[in-house]
Amino acid sequence: MKDDLNIVGKRVVRSDSLAKVTGRARYTADLKFPNMLVAKVLRSPLPHARILGIDLTAALKVPGVKAAISGFDTYGVKWGVFRYTQDHDMLPTDKVRYIGEDVAAVAAVDEETALEALSRIQVDYEPLPAVFEPNEAMQEGAPQIHDAYKNNINVHVHINVGDVDKAMSEAFLVREDTFKAAGEAYAMMEPYAVVASYANGFLDLWMPNAGPHVRAKALSNLLKMPLNRVRVRHINSGGAFGGRSEVSPGDLVASLLSIKAGRPVRLALSREENATSTRQVHDMIATVKTGMSKDGAIMAKDYRVIYDGGAYSSTGPIATSIPFYVYEECYRFPNVRYNGYRVFTNKGIRGMYGCHGRAFIAGNEAQMDLMGKELGMDPVDIRLKNGLTSGEVTATQSKITSCGLAETIATASERTNFKEKWTKTSKGKGIGMGCIAIMCGFPMGFRSGSSCYVKMNDDGQATLVTGLVDNGQGNESMVIQVASEILGIPMEDVNLVNADTEATNLDPGAYSQAAAFVGANAVRIACENARKKIVAIAAEKLGVKEADIDLRDRMAFSRKTPGKNMRISWVVREAFFRGDPIVATGTYFPSIDFEREWVSRPWGQMAGTFSFGTSVAEVRIDGQTGKITVPHFTAAHDCGRPINPMAVEGQMEGSIQQAGIATIMEENLWNKGFLLNPDLLEYKVPLACDMPEIETIIVSSIDPEGPFGAKEGGLTIRMNAYSAIACAVANATGTLFSELPLTPDRVLNILERKKGAKK
Amino acid sequence: MKTIKVSFRVNDETVAFQVKPYETLLETLRERIDLIGSKEACGMGACGACTVIVDGIPLRSCLVLTPEVNGASITTVEGLAKDGNLHPLQEAFMEKGAVQCGFCTSGMIMTAKALLDRNKKPTQKEVIKTMSSNICRCTGYKKIVEAVEYAASRRTSAG
Repeated sequence: MKDDLNIVGKRVVRSDSLAKVTGRARYTADLKFPNMLVAKVLRSPLPHARILGIDLTAALKVPGVKAAISGFDTYGVKWGVFRYTQDHDMLPTDKVRYIGEDVAAVAAVDEETALEALSRIQVDYEPLPAVFEPNEAMQEGAPQIHDAYKNNINVHVHINVGDVDKAMSEAFLVREDTFKAAGEAYAMMEPYAVVASYANGFLDLWMPNAGPHVRAKALSNLLKMPLNRVRVRHINSGGAFGGRSEVSPGDLVASLLSIKAGRPVRLALSREENATSTRQVHDMIATVKTGMSKDGAIMAKDYRVIYDGGAYSSTGPIATSIPFYVYEECYRFPNVRYNGYRVFTNKGIRGMYGCHGRAFIAGNEAQMDLMGKELGMDPVDIRLKNGLTSGEVTATQSKITSCGLAETIATASERTNFKEKWTKTSKGKGIGMGCIAIMCGFPMGFRSGSSCYVKMNDDGQATLVTGLVDNGQGNESMVIQVASEILGIPMEDVNLVNADTEATNLDPGAYSQAAAFVGANAVRIACENARKKIVAIAAEKLGVKEADIDLRDRMAFSRKTPGKNMRISWVVREAFFRGDPIVATGTYFPSIDFEREWVSRPWGQMAGTFSFGTSVAEVRIDGQTGKITVPHFTAAHDCGRPINPMAVEGQMEGSIQQAGIATIMEENLWNKGFLLNPDLLEYKVPLACDMPEIETIIVSSIDPEGPFGAKEGGLTIRMNAYSAIACAVANATGTLFSELPLTPDRVLNILERKKGAKK
Repeated sequence: MKTIKVSFRVNDETVAFQVKPYETLLETLRERIDLIGSKEACGMGACGACTVIVDGIPLRSCLVLTPEVNGASITTVEGLAKDGNLHPLQEAFMEKGAVQCGFCTSGMIMTAKALLDRNKKPTQKEVIKTMSSNICRCTGYKKIVEAVEYAASRRTSAG
């Protein structure tokens, strides 16, 4: 691998930004095709009801309506990520299970006609008792949402390592606390949209997605069509954050309508539909029991976590596990018992989120601070004491290869003068620290790896073909940068054909933090293979040794005698003459234990590598109103070598907004199964004026396996920013929170409780 | 239904349509003349992704009815680059890394342009206040604020 880098590691302008600043970048709802129809979806007004009948005839009689569908037009194939979680009829025929569920749909020549037709669809419902709180849903006698899951328990993840009970009994200090957190809205700026175009037995699809290949496969199953006839194509995505990972009911709706009408169909959801009827974030209740030795070492952890899973399985087993894993990848747990329950309720469909596991992680971190304090240790020392280091193995047997956790803790605490501020709190001020690790990829069977094909064109420019997808984080620019570095041509000479299921090979997608470590690694290997071919011909032509050849600025040249050089385009043409063009493939498949399974075998190597991060938040609390402000936020991240530091900083800053400031203001509010704040006036996304002064620190390290030493960039901050603010509030109030987010009413309750306790 | 004849200038070209009284400017721009740079993200004026400049004033085109802009002069993000040269704000957003998913970018740039057009040298506080009218979910706003300040400084130093 090259060491003297020209482009990797530089603050380059992202390749996708020109189209975006000029308004030319196309997103799904921007697409227009001849004869395209507009689709609208009829949604369930009830949280739980039996469907007695759906009558589309009146809708079909509206002039301009070209197709109407319901669940009775599907094959009845149910979606689920795993064989054992296939319970989601994306257009149900038996029951509706949440308000906003897709029930029927029409495609018409324009929006008004579609809405008119929608109003004429007759659905007969028999309302059923509903249940909205997981604790109630688990009780005997609660309404059953799915027959196959007794007491509405969708997934139970049980992990048991060592002897927890023995370790707890021997611990010097034991503490148990319960934390509750509301789910948030993804609130990606782009409301969900799908364009489906069916012709001659082939279906083309465009939608924001975090993995085109898994999307196409799911739809090929649901539509009973061969995989090569269901083509998910490249399109820009206006944010995902975990909410675009799975197939969506809208995908099936648009596909069926297009098949039925024989015309292209555009389904663009409203902001409110995006909130009620695409993925939502899990609410959760976590009970955390920790046993510590006198010197602050964690001896045992005992967990019971309940996730509000909404109406269907979704990524259930993964969602039930991830909060625990990112925590065990960070700290040493000699004995641990984890019982995670994902419970069905009559609420919307849920997915993974960039800071999935808020109550769990923030609760653990804040509890650790209090226990440390009792033992005379500050948050820095207790984290350093328990933090994992390179070469160690996690509780469930993942080996940590490269680890900059201690460096991120040290840097973040030095920059913020953490120890002093934490000890000498003044009224209404607090400082808190959050640490975490993230797996760069996780087991997805044969889909865990990525492949890239590169071809050199006769003008010396390159085309990369890869399944890698970009949801706005900069993945496309990242691999162009990698190719540019290796092939010795500027970034503008690299064209990308990506995220198109017919043209590209498998890739794990953008939802498992694998784009840099896996996707870019495949691009690196393909380009290195192409480079070898270029170097061989150049060396022969220039009469020097291959080891002496370097590629830069579109030239192949001798390092010793730079006067000996030739254009890369001439090398490429020579290769064409020889009947052996410069084309190459590269595949990267991470070292993961594929026997590992989320429920049945929760141990073994989780990912090829792990990234680490530490966030430090400083807060102020207004004692009168309970309002929290965050004047300063510092984040330190071990992302391996940053391929584009500017892009990594951007990810970190966005994480501080989306996961950090969220701690004091973001939550979905429910009245039974009715989402009260589905729009952006009622749901407050943090604005520029809500943001703290931010310092981001990239603790650069070199991962031995990562492309140019890179690992995941940014998600650790998304996972720990929430903890940092929650811990800072605990530091300021001197007491533990029990409910998140820390909105003014909850903060006032904490302050009142504390006053009461003093009396 | 009775339609209304509307004519206005957009990005220095005159356009004329018969529209229904309730057609929004955002719909007209996107569906009739393919100016898809303005985005619909909320449809209720909360996020600013559809911001365009109407007679010098930044407006949320999802809240403006097309008959209201009869005779007006409108600039959208597509009208910023002149003679193949990007507007300093467009360059600044690229160079400072202020663009991620890009869905809010057009609206951000139009809001910033309206600010710089009336206040050549805004303070950081003024930039933050103005840009707080728009929502971004990716960037944390830091690089957006930096980009606006950078564009302002380049414009003033260039005279």
